[in-house]
Amino acid sequence: MSQDKKGGLKRRDFLKIIGVAGGTAAVAGGCSNPAEQIIPYVIPPEGIIPGVPNWYASTCRECPAGCGIIVKNREGRAIKVEGNPKNPINMGGSCAEGQAMLQGLYNPDRIRSPLSRSDLGRLEPQGWDNAQKMLTEKIEEVRKKGGNGRIVFLSDHNEGTLGNLIGDWMSALGGKHLTYEAYSYEPLKEANRIVFGIDKIPTYNIDKTKYLLSFGADFIETWLSPTLYARQFSEMHGYKDKSMGKFVHVEPRASLTGVNADEWVSIKPGTEAVLALGIANVIVSEGMSANGGGGFAGLLGAYTPEKVSSVTDVPVDTIKEIAGEFSSMQPSLAIGGGIANTSTNATETLVAINILNYVAGNVGQTIDFGNALTLSGVSTFKEISSLVDSMSKGEVDLLFIYNVNPVFTLPRSLGFEDALGKVPYVVSFSSFMDETTEKANLILPDSTTLESWGDFIPDARVHGLIQPVMTPVFNTRSTGDVILSVTAQLEGLKGRYTQVSYYDYLRDSWKRVWTSVTGGGDFEMFWNTALENGGIYRDVTPVQVSASGNISGVSFGEPEFTGDGDFYFMAYPSYKYYDGRGANKPWLQELPDAITTGVWDSWVEMHPDTAKRLGVKLGDFVKIESPYGTIETQAYVYEGIRPDTLAVMIGQGHTSYGRYAKDRGVNPLSILPVSTDKITGSFAWLTTKVKASGTGRNAQFVQTQYTTTQHDRDVAQMVTLTELEHGLHHEEHEEPDFYPPIEYDRYHWGMSIDLQKCTGCGACITACYAENNIPFVGKELVAKRRDMAWLRIDRFFEKSDNKAGFETRFLPMLCQQCNNAPCEPVCPVFATYHNPEGLNGMIYNRCVGTRYCSNNCTYSVRKFNWFSYKIPDPLNWQYNPDVTVRDKGVMEKCTFCVQRIIYAKDQAKDKGRDVLDGEFQVACQQSCASGAIEFGNLKDPESRVSKLSHDERGYRVLNQLNTQPNITYLKKVKWDKA
Amino acid sequence: MRKWITLLSVPLLSLAIFLGLYFFDNAESSNKGPVQPVRFSHKIHAGAENDQIPCQYCHSFVDVSPNPGIPSVQKCMGCHTHIAGRDVEYDFGGTTINLQQEIAKVREYWAKKEPIPWNKVNTMPGYVHFNHKRHIKRGFECATCHGDVANMDQVYQVTRLNMGFCITCHTENAKDHEELARLKDCLSCHY
Repeated sequence: MSQDKKGGLKRRDFLKIIGVAGGTAAVAGGCSNPAEQIIPYVIPPEGIIPGVPNWYASTCRECPAGCGIIVKNREGRAIKVEGNPKNPINMGGSCAEGQAMLQGLYNPDRIRSPLSRSDLGRLEPQGWDNAQKMLTEKIEEVRKKGGNGRIVFLSDHNEGTLGNLIGDWMSALGGKHLTYEAYSYEPLKEANRIVFGIDKIPTYNIDKTKYLLSFGADFIETWLSPTLYARQFSEMHGYKDKSMGKFVHVEPRASLTGVNADEWVSIKPGTEAVLALGIANVIVSEGMSANGGGGFAGLLGAYTPEKVSSVTDVPVDTIKEIAGEFSSMQPSLAIGGGIANTSTNATETLVAINILNYVAGNVGQTIDFGNALTLSGVSTFKEISSLVDSMSKGEVDLLFIYNVNPVFTLPRSLGFEDALGKVPYVVSFSSFMDETTEKANLILPDSTTLESWGDFIPDARVHGLIQPVMTPVFNTRSTGDVILSVTAQLEGLKGRYTQVSYYDYLRDSWKRVWTSVTGGGDFEMFWNTALENGGIYRDVTPVQVSASGNISGVSFGEPEFTGDGDFYFMAYPSYKYYDGRGANKPWLQELPDAITTGVWDSWVEMHPDTAKRLGVKLGDFVKIESPYGTIETQAYVYEGIRPDTLAVMIGQGHTSYGRYAKDRGVNPLSILPVSTDKITGSFAWLTTKVKASGTGRNAQFVQTQYTTTQHDRDVAQMVTLTELEHGLHHEEHEEPDFYPPIEYDRYHWGMSIDLQKCTGCGACITACYAENNIPFVGKELVAKRRDMAWLRIDRFFEKSDNKAGFETRFLPMLCQQCNNAPCEPVCPVFATYHNPEGLNGMIYNRCVGTRYCSNNCTYSVRKFNWFSYKIPDPLNWQYNPDVTVRDKGVMEKCTFCVQRIIYAKDQAKDKGRDVLDGEFQVACQQSCASGAIEFGNLKDPESRVSKLSHDERGYRVLNQLNTQPNITYLKKVKWDKA
Repeated sequence: MRKWITLLSVPLLSLAIFLGLYFFDNAESSNKGPVQPVRFSHKIHAGAENDQIPCQYCHSFVDVSPNPGIPSVQKCMGCHTHIAGRDVEYDFGGTTINLQQEIAKVREYWAKKEPIPWNKVNTMPGYVHFNHKRHIKRGFECATCHGDVANMDQVYQVTRLNMGFCITCHTENAKDHEELARLKDCLSCHY
């Protein structure tokens, strides 16, 4: 066998030779350094020092809440977004969507230059001059035809200078400006007009309440201003000075907001009005109302607890209990109007909630009409529907689309897509190829918020400024600039705007703000201060309102449902994708949903009884049929939903919108009818009854946590209010140890996480991805449990004696930086070790990838790079240059943001002192709107984290294993008082 | 026999390539270091017998940033708008160059508003985070790590800047036990 017949080389010999040759080449190649270049500036930009970050204040436009942001810029690139601590809305906090706005900026699927549709129907790149000329000609052509209203500008809610400019431009062209928001909260506005005579959306003072009753308002997720309310909720619901507020959530499904409630009350869809009136009736009839019910007493009399109970499926005892607590725990507050619960009687429901607030004496205490939201001013659904109508009748010749995607966000049955086809010329300013933009004739891509000038007024207190934090990534141009330069070419309008650039226009508009605010002084100083602060913030005097007893015309009728299926169908808004706009950001796709821990897809939530009835289990594909269409998606079996209700999240199911969003999940809007709220005519989401059936197909339901219980390990601990009142037997004795405790010199970094404040929203996870260059791996690899998140939020559903029968606990889990770390002694190469400041160091360049550490980690927080994850250009521009990008074969984990620690120490050393408490924040802590995370020096007995580490609620996860973690968790507090 | 020749030829050839590359790379030449797009002589600019421009005039961020900073083309032109250089030959460490022609190259970059693509001399891998500021503030001279750059025409790497070099210096200079622990901590540079 050893002799080859032809005398040539045998395979084994060949391998030997190749081995030697390859080795030699490797050695020879290793001698020379790879050629690397240093490219200096030609002209150095002012204020940029390479290696030193700059921060720019701006305003977030990912949703209408308008939080303030500060953006970290290194060498001309935006690398991190954080909440602006000066902004009174979010006060430094942020949400996952805000954190992910960088992936909008650097999205590889952005439109890179103007595009116009050729005669063959293809979109072809154009230069800006040419594209603007095409637009100018088109406008002139339509103007020559004459007739008003043939030009329509459909934008998002854009209160501020750009909104004014668009409005003014449209009136000059004889056109119309409509502002469309998918979630416009019209019933809320109308109900306030009916009861209080003010046609506005107020700001609620949740932080001042002791008892919060929410009728389906998902204020931690999407309702009005989620970061504001998450912060307020943490104030109200956090355990402080031996007490805390109580929160009761009424909804057919336990949403993320619902599972954060002390009690989740499941209610028959659309019957919230009856429950609110029933509670008010108990308060009045039992003499618990200070105003005796005012003019409403007569109306309320009919809503006896028994009757209410039969309509709503809420037990009589619960109604009475809520009524008692609502009137005794003052000030209290009832809120409502969550999108998912908008049925045909939405306004009536909110009128009933207003009455309940009035009866309990909350109006003026916890509802502030002085600080009304500008969202009150967006176009109504009626206006949008009539636009669709006139589009399909051919009455619109030219349609501008700006920052909205109505083809996706309007129910398919409204026919926007078909109507769009009847408009001869559609111009989109979108920076992304979404479902609406791909139908446009001309695309003039707008620079994103982070690349352009602007301003936004979210409410009466805040006038936020938007400034470019870097030069545009692609050949885009801000829409304000396009409008100005196009108008300068139009017949008869050449002199309308004297400003050459939108920047000048904005500054001129701010000169008027300056006059009204300061009444004089130096404008440049005012402007620069406003830029530095991210805008101007003013105090608003609260507006006192009184309820008019006259609510004639409100009948409190039953909700109407379309379809003859067995199940109420809830399409609920997503706290990750909002109305679908977030779906193209891989960080948000990979952020596990708080309830299901599902990623990169859609699912239908159903009760275990329903699953049994349909014969389906987790991961089975379920067909959901309404008279308007069918969707198929995987089942998630969940106790927190009524057996007669199915729920699907809004935001997925894009047919376009880039590689990360396209063909992923289902869009529940495609099977909804155009049902509206009876009083306002606004779109109602919860109006459908669907049929559901198993399809017999099953696939793995890709999620990050496959268990729902703690398996009696008690890692997410809870304590009752009564126990706390009696004083906890707080164990702080030292366990006997064979080894002496580690001595720390100046710093001993530690963290505390308050489980009572954590809402599970996931902002910290996304912040961690952004700060630490963590790769996203996609659905297929998450399915193999290869997700790379350094910080995850474990959620457990525990059996409970509460009304729902279960309670939810969230446990943010990250490297515990153990003082006696199991990972350290098993590393054969000393890649992981304990550092002199209490950190569990992870040295990537030492790591050889044995994965012993991960195997030995008590908390499963170590992640292994199975591949080198290359992300497409320019997403990689976001990388934090202070953190090594890890390669294949290397272990990684939370480092307590060691780069921030080192930066803070460096800054302190320049000042000749130690790092002060609170001087810097780690990424997760910074993003947390609830303030659940504290970080600091345990060596300093006065630091906040030091004090919290000795808190009576403090415990360490799996402490019995003697890992001695540096993270203290504060137990969640259960409301058990009568 | 023929089989053996075939078997041996490849390793022998590889060895020849290896040795060639080895001696080429380590050839003793007064002109070490990478060849730069402009034959910029540190000796002329900073040398004791010449202009004596302080390092920080051009590398101006060295005491405020982890990065020392490379001068912008504008900074070069700050002087070279006025200084065109003499039209003489200059022995640039063994290579003969014309000073005026080299300065003309700089002016050309400036006219085209293009950066000069310098080749990196002292390279540090991506997983090492070295902070120039801390070392300068502590009072170390540039020459401690970079050598006598002021007397080099073409700059070359003097020390290999491996971890042993760092740790030796850290060990020698630590004030006390606590500082030594910190200076030898992996996380000080690797994160």
